[in-house]
Amino acid sequence: MSLLRIRTVVRRHAYVLWRAPHRWFDIAFWPLMDVILWGSLGTYIARQDPSSQSSAPYLIAGILMFHVLFQSQIAVGTGFMEETWSRNLLNVLTTPVTELEYVAGTAVFGIAKVLLAMATLSVTAVAFFGFGLDEIGWSIIPIALILTIVGWGVGVANIGVVLRFGQGAEILIWGTNFILMALSGVFNPIDALPGALQPVARLLPSTHAFTALRAVLGGEPLPRDEIVSGLIGSVVFVVAGFAFSWWMLRIFRRRGFVTRFS
Amino acid sequence: MDLVLRADGLRKTFKRIEAVRGIDVHVAQGERMGLLGPNGAGKTTTLLMILGAVLPDEGSIHIAGFHLPRQRSKAMQHVGFAAGYLPLPDRLKVREALGVFAGWYGVRDHKNAVDDTLERFEITQFGDRLCSSLSSGQRTLVGIVKATLHNPRLLVLDEPTASLDPDIALKVRNGLLDYCRDSDAALLVTSHDMREVEMLTERVIFLARGEVVANDTPAAIAELYGHDDLEGVFLELAETHGR
Repeated sequence: MSLLRIRTVVRRHAYVLWRAPHRWFDIAFWPLMDVILWGSLGTYIARQDPSSQSSAPYLIAGILMFHVLFQSQIAVGTGFMEETWSRNLLNVLTTPVTELEYVAGTAVFGIAKVLLAMATLSVTAVAFFGFGLDEIGWSIIPIALILTIVGWGVGVANIGVVLRFGQGAEILIWGTNFILMALSGVFNPIDALPGALQPVARLLPSTHAFTALRAVLGGEPLPRDEIVSGLIGSVVFVVAGFAFSWWMLRIFRRRGFVTRFS
Repeated sequence: MDLVLRADGLRKTFKRIEAVRGIDVHVAQGERMGLLGPNGAGKTTTLLMILGAVLPDEGSIHIAGFHLPRQRSKAMQHVGFAAGYLPLPDRLKVREALGVFAGWYGVRDHKNAVDDTLERFEITQFGDRLCSSLSSGQRTLVGIVKATLHNPRLLVLDEPTASLDPDIALKVRNGLLDYCRDSDAALLVTSHDMREVEMLTERVIFLARGEVVANDTPAAIAELYGHDDLEGVFLELAETHGR
């Protein structure tokens, strides 16, 4: 692993972010809209039913932490896709950059995007709905860590699918976020999901992170069992993502799919 | 003989079509070699295997002593690649894009490396332009600059002057010859411009239907086929082996 090469991957994507205003939608505009949507919904529910006073904080905290997963996933996914959109993939593949270094660079860049998006979300949540991150406290660190690692794992697996099936599969880069949002219990306990989906939801490490989040918001101490399960699951997730992508890359090289992207 | 590239018995089949049928490519340090052949002869597949972007079904490849694909990263530190058809990262300025590639090639002082290489090819004026604003010829030139940033021992160029005006193409050829002479780098080039190949290379491998049909100096190959130059050989092979 070369730190210089990883740093250079970060620099490459920082240039792209700087020059592509539409990329700022991911880290500024969509987070802003999400807080407004979910915060307003929570406020409305609380007005209808005073016993649901906690709706707004639950929804806002859910969307806030979901953006940790979303940003880390999309930074890895779109980082790779940028090379295919600019038909630069062959150039990258013929440099000494290893697959691990490239993903590490996009993952580090993803952390920067998470922080930028969190800044937008936090300021908006405080300004419009009076919800501050202090309501989650230091528990935010292990919860965010699980979600970041899950995001990397999903992003890497998505790269594998695009390598194997071509650019048409890039819909997954965005699409998997909606699947995870629906199944991870971002806004509600997973026992509210249809029965058939609940076992699937339980397998997702992100579900443990959001369960822990709700417990903390409910005034309980951080549930260690959920955090440990989430951390172990997220590591399994990222290792599986890498293994899958490595396998797809091998097929990509064996079948000469690089010509699809150049 | 110090071989910078040793590829032996390369074979590649795509969906039952044998693109490359057991070819050997050996390039010595400082040697300039052309890889020629009509469309579909297997040139690009061979180059992509040498660059590690495509895995051969059979055969072995060593670059500067490093095995592909096992030591791909180390091998690629000694290779510079440019192709006339490849664009550059379009949201980056030329200097930024070259700086990124320099970093990926392990060049610590990327700013100086970029300035020096732009100067070598006399295109410092492109440095602050966006890659997307370059004409195809200018882009090709920057691609060649990219390939030489890290002083590679082997330069692999696929159709390097395909979209260049004759005067610019001449400048590129001279720049490449100077580079190879000054740094004792080897050159492996494909081109459809036979005059260019005669000017640039000392030895030529002619491929047809995935096999090596000739491997010698341009003059010796022309003589072998009874032609005055490589152009005649190319036309004969294209006709014989059908396109």
